[in-house]
Amino acid sequence: MRKHGVWIALTIVAMMSLMLVNCKPQTVTVEVERTVEVTVPVVQTVEVPVGGELVHLVARCKAAPPHEEGRCNNLLAAVGAANAALAEMGDDRRIELEIIQDNADWGDYKTEFELASDAGEAPDIICSGHEHIGDWAPAGYILDITDMIDDYPEFSDIIDSLWESTKWNGRIWGIPQDAEARPFYFNKTLLRQLGWSDEEIESLPDRVTSGEFAWEDMFDVAEEAVNAGVVQPGYGWWHRPKNGPDFLYYYYAAGGEIIPEGGEDALVFDRDAALIVYQLLYEATQERNILLTTRLDGDWTGWHTGITNGEVLFWFGGSWNWAEWAVNYLADRGGEAWLWENVGFAPIPALRRGKNVPITLTHPLLYMISSQSEHPDLALLLISKATTPQLNTDYAVASGHLGILKSQADYTPYTSAKFLSRVLPLLEYTTFLPNSPYWSTWSEAYYLGIQSVESGQLTPEEALEVVVEQLQNELGEHVIVR
Amino acid sequence: MSIAVAGDTTAARRKWDWARVRATLGAWGFLAPAAILVTVFFFIPVIILFVISLTDLSSSNFSEPLHFVWIENYARLFRDRFFPKILLNTVRYVILTLGFFNVGMALVLALLTTHINRRAGFFFRMIWLLPRITPSVVYILMWRRIAHQPPFGILNQLLAPFGVEPRYWLFEQPWLFVILVNGFVGASFGMIIFTSAIESIPRDYIMAAKVDGASTWQVIRDIILPLIRWPLLFVTTYQSLSLLTSFEYILLLTEGGPGLYTTEVWALTAYKRALKTYFGHNQWGYGAAWGFILVLIGLILSIIYLRVFRFNELVEEPKIDVL
Repeated sequence: MRKHGVWIALTIVAMMSLMLVNCKPQTVTVEVERTVEVTVPVVQTVEVPVGGELVHLVARCKAAPPHEEGRCNNLLAAVGAANAALAEMGDDRRIELEIIQDNADWGDYKTEFELASDAGEAPDIICSGHEHIGDWAPAGYILDITDMIDDYPEFSDIIDSLWESTKWNGRIWGIPQDAEARPFYFNKTLLRQLGWSDEEIESLPDRVTSGEFAWEDMFDVAEEAVNAGVVQPGYGWWHRPKNGPDFLYYYYAAGGEIIPEGGEDALVFDRDAALIVYQLLYEATQERNILLTTRLDGDWTGWHTGITNGEVLFWFGGSWNWAEWAVNYLADRGGEAWLWENVGFAPIPALRRGKNVPITLTHPLLYMISSQSEHPDLALLLISKATTPQLNTDYAVASGHLGILKSQADYTPYTSAKFLSRVLPLLEYTTFLPNSPYWSTWSEAYYLGIQSVESGQLTPEEALEVVVEQLQNELGEHVIVR
Repeated sequence: MSIAVAGDTTAARRKWDWARVRATLGAWGFLAPAAILVTVFFFIPVIILFVISLTDLSSSNFSEPLHFVWIENYARLFRDRFFPKILLNTVRYVILTLGFFNVGMALVLALLTTHINRRAGFFFRMIWLLPRITPSVVYILMWRRIAHQPPFGILNQLLAPFGVEPRYWLFEQPWLFVILVNGFVGASFGMIIFTSAIESIPRDYIMAAKVDGASTWQVIRDIILPLIRWPLLFVTTYQSLSLLTSFEYILLLTEGGPGLYTTEVWALTAYKRALKTYFGHNQWGYGAAWGFILVLIGLILSIIYLRVFRFNELVEEPKIDVL
């Protein structure tokens, strides 16, 4: 038996060797270009005058690598300028900065700061969504900087409208770090396959801007593309695959308001506007078959892949996606050149032709200063030195975000960035999220309605009733249902 | 004489007292580690959970002193129209996963692997342990790829030659995958316990039955199953309580969806309310109310199990010694 075992083993080895020999590919010499990425630790050299103090600051940023890393890296790059300014002022303190930067989920990121604050270990600077002011300002986690910003002339260069996103109770709680637009994207190649002429395709952004091409037209064209087999069913129009700021501009587009006129301690839920949104999404998934009923599956990779494989006709995305697609999805197919050839963009179309106007939403990130920081003046000084046309433009160009400074309008490196300069006019139609402690709960309930109509579990009318009931149960007196 | 007698009695009592103290201390000494663990990791957290559930503690008032709203969170919870659905989902999740996998499949695996070649049995048990030692995120990523939407999805690729229309399996059959994903991990626990119980049955019983002409099925039904009754009850109890509080695989797989709370279980709701919303407004007070109800359900279930399954008999001295 043992002897047989040896023979069987030898036979198997011999057969595998033969298979391997037969499988051996032909030798071909191919020249390949290798790109080697090397991580280089950034070393700061800070000279502290005799008797001076070295102040250790910590900054926390959420950034998608590599294109958004300027959020914290710009602060690091500003350390030298900040220390030079201190020397010039005769201040013997010097800044040493530690950055913590990753791409955590927004919810986890926010919770981390709250728990750190409660433990007394909050970073000095946190770069986060402006809507977090709604929770952090009343909780006392961040500093009211209204009376401090005039001491830093750099901040006067920030675009005036962006300051609106930094306010709560009429006070300023953060410094804008970036801005973006959320465009309506279209696939030019697929439109061509549908029979559109080049003139029609090129004029689409203008027709959207003038209100001639509305949301209903977008749905009609998407349905036509599905019926003609130009795109698969469910690939006519896509929105993001999970909850997020975007769905609020659907509600705004339908005429909804969220902040009550008197600024009461509540948020408004407009039944008519929400019903229009739910009807649209029900129509797109259940009737016209242009949007996947499973689109809210949370799968960002599948979403980006479908778009960059040229399978989707229309979609609502973010301006930062442009850089993300070019770097992470299309690097081997020409990167940004592929996008210019195949993809166009415009503001989000008006909901009804001739009745509404185009829209978009901006979600500025802000640098906020922890109320636990022992050196808020130094933190603000550092932020001011990162708020320059050069640093902010480097970040904006790399990440596909919009500039935040007035001076960038004439700053050549910014104006010569083709995508940024083309997408900038979208800000004319922009809206913001509310800075309210009730926004998150409002958004979760509103999104429940979206999930239920897209999955076909409820009709739009049923969804509306469920959402109203949920909002009243969750927010009580803090929601005004109209 | 009487003095001497009295002296003897006192000495004896003293000796007896010392022995009793030693015995008591010994008992407490042995109990102490478990008692400390249960106190620190169960009783104290439950008390904290209950206190928090009576407050409106949230992201926007975390730094302030606790503001008590008493039973408002509980009233809100019971007013939530999805509360019955979430409860039913939890019952469905626990019963199906337990029945088909954590006890059912575990028993089948234990029986099969103890009735084949010992080494082969060990090998198959090792394979079934793999899901348990795979990191949760990697494990779920594999399942998501298996059940992914067309044109992707390993399942779609495998079924295509048989003419099965490609589909987004995870979204069309979310419950099937929730139970499979949890069951493939859960089955191994029972499998190990049952295997060791089966292996410890004296071989004489089985040999005697076989000599008497019993079939394999009769041996399993009339000898093995009655003798592993206690491990069966233990696994049922432990795993049902464990499933009641588990949600991580569901969170990673479906996030409680698709659509409207389709696969949302109680523990997941508590987690989402307290710690996980897109915009990060955490309602710790409200989440704690959901969590505390789960603790109550767990306690009630434990008492039912202890009574119905007569666990006190399990820990009694054996009435007959098996030689």
